[in-house]
Amino acid sequence: MNSPGPTAEQVQLEVYRKVVTIRFAELRIREHVEKEGFGGFWHPGIGQEGLQVGAVSAMQPDDYLYYAHRGLGYAFAKGMELEPLFGDLLGRRTGSTGGKGGGTVHFADASRHVMGQGGTLGSSFVMGAGTAAASQLLGDGRVTVVFFGDGASGRGTWHEAALQASVWKLPVVWICENNGWALSARFTEQSPTEHVADRAPAYGIPGVVVDGQDAMAVREVTLEAIERARRGEGPTLIEAKTLRIRGHYEGDRQPYRDDPVLGDEIPNDPVHRLGEGIADDVRRGIDAEARALVDRAFDAALAAPRADDSVIFEDVWA
Amino acid sequence: MSAAAATTDRVIGYSRAINEALAEEMRRDERVWMMGQDIGRLGGVFGLTRGLLDEFGPMRVRDTAINETFIVGGAAGAALAGTIPVVELQFADFLFTAADEIFHKLAKWRYMHGGQFTMPVVVRLPTGVVGGAGAEHSQSLETIAMHVAGLKVAVPATPSDAKGLLKAAIRDPDPVLFFEHKGLYRVKGPVPESDEHVVPFGSARIARPGSDLTVVATGLMVDRALAAAEQLAPQGIDVEVIDPRTLVPLDIDTIVSSVERTHRLMVVHEASRTAGFGAEIAAQVHERAFFALDAPVWRVCGTDTPLPQDPDLEQACIPSTDEIVTAALALAAI
Repeated sequence: MNSPGPTAEQVQLEVYRKVVTIRFAELRIREHVEKEGFGGFWHPGIGQEGLQVGAVSAMQPDDYLYYAHRGLGYAFAKGMELEPLFGDLLGRRTGSTGGKGGGTVHFADASRHVMGQGGTLGSSFVMGAGTAAASQLLGDGRVTVVFFGDGASGRGTWHEAALQASVWKLPVVWICENNGWALSARFTEQSPTEHVADRAPAYGIPGVVVDGQDAMAVREVTLEAIERARRGEGPTLIEAKTLRIRGHYEGDRQPYRDDPVLGDEIPNDPVHRLGEGIADDVRRGIDAEARALVDRAFDAALAAPRADDSVIFEDVWA
Repeated sequence: MSAAAATTDRVIGYSRAINEALAEEMRRDERVWMMGQDIGRLGGVFGLTRGLLDEFGPMRVRDTAINETFIVGGAAGAALAGTIPVVELQFADFLFTAADEIFHKLAKWRYMHGGQFTMPVVVRLPTGVVGGAGAEHSQSLETIAMHVAGLKVAVPATPSDAKGLLKAAIRDPDPVLFFEHKGLYRVKGPVPESDEHVVPFGSARIARPGSDLTVVATGLMVDRALAAAEQLAPQGIDVEVIDPRTLVPLDIDTIVSSVERTHRLMVVHEASRTAGFGAEIAAQVHERAFFALDAPVWRVCGTDTPLPQDPDLEQACIPSTDEIVTAALALAAI
């Protein structure tokens, strides 16, 4: 294969397209939750889409993804369609989990190596390291990327995974979305160090801090970490600094929050930053297509049948 | 190997049988690999993995740090990526140390994600009292594993079953908790020579046929129930001993049909009495065979206490052959 890769401009257009699509998806979901109520918890990722899409854009299709619970950016960037993602959110049979995943926290697509998520934060530290150990054993050249929040960085599983992955030089990249809040706990009050990435040297791995609102910067550091992992040089910890614009879940009134609640304002909005270099008419075209895509997928998911009792006994055993 | 030799039974130890199962399955399928503490260079604290590092190398027999959440959680992640991890926790008690990984990740990942993944992981768990290992290294926790849907549970009592069930476990697409009894590691018994000696899950073994009283026992308790049966025979009580071999799936049909013949049932287990698997078997037999029973279902079980470290006190906390005999005489007299 000698075909040249996409140009920087093409990459940025594609990242923009995905980020803005997820932005419209975020807004559509919020509208639904506010109007219709909702049986589960929706953990909005608005404002964090840029880092999610930027990082995943650095992955190869065969690389493995363990995402975190803030939104849909990770999975959409890895190639999942919106309708099954909305289907999971709405408890539809057409959801990627057939209606069992609940909310949006357990979507998966085995064919695209979107590996799912546990309900207990921090469990993907060890699972991702294990997936990387399988790649090392099989020699399949794949890298595993694991997202987590600043809150999950408190889990002991981080220590067990980071230690073993570094000793074994496993092909895994950990990406912390540090949005400053773990539900009601401020990161600054729960961390002895300024950055999560400050902990990396203890494990003999690189720790990289990047502006999480700058999607292309996140892509660059992730590319470097993935290539390092693929060369057999072991894991990297990336920390993308971002902001939690909304509550822990949509509807969270955040009585604990004494900083100005951001609400709808997205400082340093990744959508705007990515859009700056794109001609207005091109950008407007992408926006219109993205909005239409979201509306079509959401309407289709709404129209799909709900999962009924028959799913309860499915998939307990292989 | 000749065809005749392939079906010959040899007498080997329970430990050796497990070691053979591991080696044969790793030869058969290169996706099978192992990790755990001290399993490589040392060959395991109980010697179960001796020789495997030499044969299969450090990428397939991997020594880990003391990190049970990684050992089990990493196995879960490695199973999703096309390998078959067989991991060892040094003591079954450490399933609490890796509880989230066992009861959530292994048990539920497939279900939560709509059946898109399989989770072919075997967790080997040296279980039970072994002589002074103490309260956190001696427990029988198989009932806890039964209570959380999504885990299969094997409790081999003989070398033959240890080998055949472990091979079945490694070939099973679902996660298996494999409770190897530490007190049986040195016990010897006949084991078929065949590489295809696979004991299917969910098939109980009638360890001793009898007509007067059914005793269901697992692990170390099977030998004690058999010894009790030999003492009871001259007293005119013909005991049938059933070893379920796996608790998930549980072969309740074999137990019920035995009770329909003997009309009396006693469950013997080393695990604590309260909410042990004896309670579950008693309940199921009452539901299915109430009118076949001539007497209540009795349980002879471990005490509802932590296990003391002193070896004599420890034995006093689990059923002895004498206790089984005494209980059986009383139950038969009802």
